[in-house]
Amino acid sequence: MAHFQIRNLSFTYPTAKGKESLRNVELTIERGEYVVLCGKSGSGKTTLLRHLKPMLTPYGQRWGEVLFNGVPLQSLSRRDQAAKIGYVMQDPDDQIVTDKVWHELAFGLESLGCEQKTMRARVAEMACYFGIQDWFHRDVANLSGGQKQLLNLASIMAMQPEVLILDEPTSQLDPIAASDFLNTVRKINIELGTTVIITEHRLEDIFPYADRAIVMDGGAVVADDTPRNIGKLLHQQQSEMFAAMPASVRAFYGAGGEGECPLTVREGRNWLSAAFPTAPQHSEMIAPALPEVKAPALSLRELWFRYEKDAPDVLRGVSADVPQGSIYAIVGGNGAGKSTTLKAVCGICRPYRGKVKVFGKNVEKYKSGELFGGCLAMLPQDPKSLFVKKTVREELQEMSRDGEKIAAVARLCEIEPLLDSHPYDLSGGEQQRSALAKVLLTEPKLLLLDEPTKGIDSFFKEKLADILCKLKAQGVTVVMVSHDVEFCARYADAVSMFFDGQILTTDTPRRFFGGNSFYTTAAARMSRHVFSMAVTAEDVVELYRKNRGEAQ
Amino acid sequence: MNDAFSKCHPLVNFLFFVGAIVCGAILQHPAYVAVGTVCGAVYYVLLRRSKAVKPMALMLLLALVMTAVNPVFNTRGEHVLFHLLGRPYTQEALVYGAALSGVLLTMLLWLGCYNAVLTGDKFTALFGSILPAISLLLVMVLRMVPNLMRKTRQIVGARRCVGKGTMEDAPTGEKLRGGVTVLSAMTSWALEGSIVTADSMRSRGYGATRRSSFMIYRMTGTDALVLTVMVLLLAVVITAVCLGQAAVAFLPHLTAAPVSWGVCAYGAYLLLPAVLHGKEALQWRISRSGI
Repeated sequence: MAHFQIRNLSFTYPTAKGKESLRNVELTIERGEYVVLCGKSGSGKTTLLRHLKPMLTPYGQRWGEVLFNGVPLQSLSRRDQAAKIGYVMQDPDDQIVTDKVWHELAFGLESLGCEQKTMRARVAEMACYFGIQDWFHRDVANLSGGQKQLLNLASIMAMQPEVLILDEPTSQLDPIAASDFLNTVRKINIELGTTVIITEHRLEDIFPYADRAIVMDGGAVVADDTPRNIGKLLHQQQSEMFAAMPASVRAFYGAGGEGECPLTVREGRNWLSAAFPTAPQHSEMIAPALPEVKAPALSLRELWFRYEKDAPDVLRGVSADVPQGSIYAIVGGNGAGKSTTLKAVCGICRPYRGKVKVFGKNVEKYKSGELFGGCLAMLPQDPKSLFVKKTVREELQEMSRDGEKIAAVARLCEIEPLLDSHPYDLSGGEQQRSALAKVLLTEPKLLLLDEPTKGIDSFFKEKLADILCKLKAQGVTVVMVSHDVEFCARYADAVSMFFDGQILTTDTPRRFFGGNSFYTTAAARMSRHVFSMAVTAEDVVELYRKNRGEAQ
Repeated sequence: MNDAFSKCHPLVNFLFFVGAIVCGAILQHPAYVAVGTVCGAVYYVLLRRSKAVKPMALMLLLALVMTAVNPVFNTRGEHVLFHLLGRPYTQEALVYGAALSGVLLTMLLWLGCYNAVLTGDKFTALFGSILPAISLLLVMVLRMVPNLMRKTRQIVGARRCVGKGTMEDAPTGEKLRGGVTVLSAMTSWALEGSIVTADSMRSRGYGATRRSSFMIYRMTGTDALVLTVMVLLLAVVITAVCLGQAAVAFLPHLTAAPVSWGVCAYGAYLLLPAVLHGKEALQWRISRSGI
């Protein structure tokens, strides 16, 4: 018997004016399967997932039915649905209810009215399985984002669910924490046989291990097959979703590969080894050295900073020169001080030593209002911290009275259809672009972005990249701090590595990522034994085609 | 801090301090006050070590001043020591002042110990089993406050970076408007978050059945033993007090009941934490020398 059976399910939100959020969805999910659900933002993934958990099912008009273990899901008691169907949401922080790690682990069991003895055993078991025992007594507030999300997962697993549903669980995490989290989910699936249904933007880490991938578009299931076949199918359909595929898949089909498509870096390497048994003629992408910076837009000299008197230094002599009219990326580990550097530029943090110069002038010397009015602006990590009004239009009007300017920025950021929506009703990518529009209305010459790709899908990432390129063409200097190496490799002009409180190296993306062997893109890891300086799937495709074109 | 009594079940801790503080506040018999002060001081020093010196010096100073000042306002009593500004300064009033400041000193010391032993999480753990709903509410509120402050800081920072921060030299009206904007933005953000929290609670079965409460602290054999001894000793003290062993009148002349077994029981009760502490320290010393 199938674990979940979705029969001809359609759904309309009451406010959607008849537009269906789910259209005739017909799906069967077997016991113990690992299913990944993909699709653009707003394609109905979350709505579908929420229909698998009665407590979270949205209000609206519904047709069709969902069977769980052969019985209608609605007939499940509240207790059973809480215990048997686990649901992990996106935001690591807001999901947590209590203040202590041990209490959070026990929360679900307390709700089910478990006995003291059972609770003790289950909590202990979970803490060990998830490696939580070292921070068992800690305050929740002192955990990192990755730890918080792991705690959310563990506190759900403590109830021993049969199914685990995860709605973009890693979108707020850095790549290392994200892949740790996804590995744990995989471990649960393999070792405990728990059915896993997950939606994710970062398919690179999931695709190779999933049993099945389901692609949704406009509320309907458009493809349902093994990940390998899905890659092929999306390429044949020239779907927008193809951009979200792992680098190996994109490189393989981009190069016109035939047969089994590689899903992992290892398979990608084997594919390239087989294609080029001897060293290829064209093995290097052109990678000019970084030009010397004259008249930098932003120059940092020996910044030292710590948050409290007795705390360790976060910035330990940060120096950098950002050329005018370029996209400059700072990459590096979590908590290394990248965001703090941006805050130091904006004067939110005051370095106790060192100088920050914006367009050759010391930031301290700018008059109040002069610096943030047309010179410097920052897009914060969480776009929600910029929203103060009821509609996006009002948000923009707060920044400028000039209707034409607003219209131009809205066009640039492609948020014209969203102007009358409440900022909180938008998806992550839409919020990001609305916040960016708001920031751009200050007409900055130097734009700082803190993790601009966090929580947005590959489709929105490309839109964001378009906007950044247009800004660059207008002469705006962009400095971004990011974990997203693929994004930086593709669009940045210069990349700096932040480590141990300072900027250690700076180079062009190709030289930077081409020279690294661990901290680099999947495409570079896949191709470095045959090509050098090929850091994106497009680079790999270009070299592949160049060599093949001359060989034939 | 490595204290044996602190590692006991919160219920044991809580009941002990209730007993110690209530007795300390009620009993004014000089012998009882002296025992209370000394025992309180011993445990306070054991708990706080070198950090105990400064606050204890302050408390002692306060007690001395109170003792000396009492006869200035209270002139009753038979034995006049001397005259101050034409008013008699009596021995009985001085003793009464000493007893009162001893009571205060005892309570301050025990409250200091209480703070060190019964931390916030022990308190919520203790009352969580009696009032699960209220204790959960308390925990959530405690978590919410720092969250809101963090969000407010983020909003203020973000607005500053787009030129919407209020300058320090801005007029009051503008500052006020800026503050209201930040407050309303913070509220909507927090409400948005609380929807997620509510979903997360419901999806983990909140309200499905009667809640139970996970006790991270377990009642062990030692706890039960300590609790029994405590209750027995306290019963003896109460009996003694009922029999009039702690009766005392300071004015117009000092009449106190003779010192009897009640004081011994009181002292034994109050020394319990210190004894547990000393026993463990001794055990360690012995076991270490055995290695």
